[in-house]
Amino acid sequence: MIECPTCSNQEFVGTLYCGECGTRLVHTSPLKGVVATREAVSQGVFGDAPHPDTAELQSGVLLGLRVLGTDEILPLIGRENYTLGRSGEGQAVIPDIDLSQYSAFESGVSRIHSEIRLTEENVAVVDLDSANGTLVNNARLDPQKATPIHHGDIIQLGQLRLQLISRYH
Amino acid sequence: MPGQSYYALLGVPRSASVEELRRGYREAALELHPDTNRRPGDTERFLEVQQAYETLIDPDRRAAYDVELAEEEARLASRSSFRCHVLQSRKNLLQLDEPQVHYILFEISPATGLPDVRPPVNLTIVIDRSTSMRGQRLDLVRSAALSIISNLEPGDSASVVAFSDRAEVFVSPDQARDPSVARARLSLLQAGGGTEIAQGIEAGLGELKHNFSRDGVNQMILLTDGRTYGDEDACRALANHAAGMGIAINCVGIGSEWGDNLMDEIAGKTGGNVVFLDSPHAISDLLQGIFDTLTHVVASRVRIEGSVSVAVDVRSVFRLEPEPMPLGDALPFFLGHLPRDGAIRLLVEAVVQPVSDLKELVLGQFTVNGDILGQGSEATGLPLQVSIPVTLDPDPTPPPEDIVSALSFISLYRMQEKARIEAGLGEALQAARRLENLATQLLATGERDLAKAALSEADRLNHTRKLSTEGEKMLKYGTRALLLPAKSSAR
Repeated sequence: MIECPTCSNQEFVGTLYCGECGTRLVHTSPLKGVVATREAVSQGVFGDAPHPDTAELQSGVLLGLRVLGTDEILPLIGRENYTLGRSGEGQAVIPDIDLSQYSAFESGVSRIHSEIRLTEENVAVVDLDSANGTLVNNARLDPQKATPIHHGDIIQLGQLRLQLISRYH
Repeated sequence: MPGQSYYALLGVPRSASVEELRRGYREAALELHPDTNRRPGDTERFLEVQQAYETLIDPDRRAAYDVELAEEEARLASRSSFRCHVLQSRKNLLQLDEPQVHYILFEISPATGLPDVRPPVNLTIVIDRSTSMRGQRLDLVRSAALSIISNLEPGDSASVVAFSDRAEVFVSPDQARDPSVARARLSLLQAGGGTEIAQGIEAGLGELKHNFSRDGVNQMILLTDGRTYGDEDACRALANHAAGMGIAINCVGIGSEWGDNLMDEIAGKTGGNVVFLDSPHAISDLLQGIFDTLTHVVASRVRIEGSVSVAVDVRSVFRLEPEPMPLGDALPFFLGHLPRDGAIRLLVEAVVQPVSDLKELVLGQFTVNGDILGQGSEATGLPLQVSIPVTLDPDPTPPPEDIVSALSFISLYRMQEKARIEAGLGEALQAARRLENLATQLLATGERDLAKAALSEADRLNHTRKLSTEGEKMLKYGTRALLLPAKSSAR
């Protein structure tokens, strides 16, 4: 059996999408210990407070977003796209990656701000008509237009800055 | 060399080792040996098995046989009226002592050199005339039917059946040939009475059978806005009957009160399709669209026959193209009509039981078959063996993009389905949470309207513990439509 990294649902080996929550399971492996646990994903970190320089190595994250100003890396595992934003009271649609705990509101992050898309060719970011816009390396993106991003690029949502960590080239 | 290959006789894969050949031979011989066999013909089969074993166990003779077999199969395949491309989600299965899920995508297209003719169309439009159809709905349906009838070509045949508690042939094929007669007959069509769908289907099939066209396309379009009570089993039996004859049934549900689950079953059994119209205004364009599609069909009653291995359970069968539709999971799979310039794509989800002592598993032996229109005879079937190696190490290559993208949409469809089942069982909170999750994912794929619909149904569940009949249909047919080729390739 394999375990869904998002909802811990058990599925037969070979299943491509979780039957419970619809999460893509392609990157999970049937080997024990490689599966991301629910806690790790919901906390958004692997391991204990890694040193900034080696954070990405210690975390074991192949693809993730580093929240600048903190030591934390949010792994991008198990899906093809992630919405970025913040949660608010009484809000039904919660972004895949909730940035509330990083002062998202104060930084001017919209509830559904932008989206990261993973394809075989590249990683791209799309601004979802956010109020304060999305910037990649200080260049403002046109809304709804996918822009490829690479390892080390800075993605800015309002005033909140994230850095793409990618071991894929 | 008609009949089974030597490998099939011994029940072993093409790549069988000497050990596997021996084992296959032993098992077959034990069953067929003249000392013990009972059925007539077993002795002949025993001799064939012996010949097969003697040929394959000798490396030189096996090599020669392999060449001969490949040529023979290529010849059969090239004579066939169909082409079929098979994709599997993984390149190999794992040697595991637990079940595994495996996906197989069949893409069936017409062979080159098939007759290029517009097939005659034999159509029956079956109209629900129950009280709820009164007024605008029936007016629009009436004029849509009339516009189809006025555009028939010589050789086509059309009729209109109307039903409430009883069914009646309103426009016979003879009357349909004269538009003024058809118009006069249709103007007499008034709404009134209940909805007994089996009556309508039965009368419609009667008309279709009467004018059955061997080299044409035979189709029923069933229009309803209500639910049938008590005759569901009769409807299913009639659908099976239609499928066997090669008649496809397309269902059109108008408004929010029709029984979509039964319509899905009826259409699914026959390789047809179901369309949800929340307002009747689009009915004329829709009927015209269906009719135009029928004139571009090259083969009807297309199906996959055969059997799967005992280790394989078919869990679901989803047609992706031409119209996305979940089909019945029992062989043969009735796939409907094959368009001349297109393909039928079918995604089969299978659970494979533990296969620890095999190097290669034959998942199934199939034949793609159908009636080629304009040829007046059954097509030359395409034999297909689908097999997969079984290894210790997982396959590192990602699954084919075609399978992944189809499944990403099917998984949204399944979420909607689950929420609906949960709501039906009274687990409203669970269902609401699922719909909220669905809304998030729909939003991520850019489907704002559907996401909104999912959210408003989640709200409704939280407040009233029930889904709206309109919302549940919108989500079902909305998520199903995400699979339409135009939509999925736009992303």
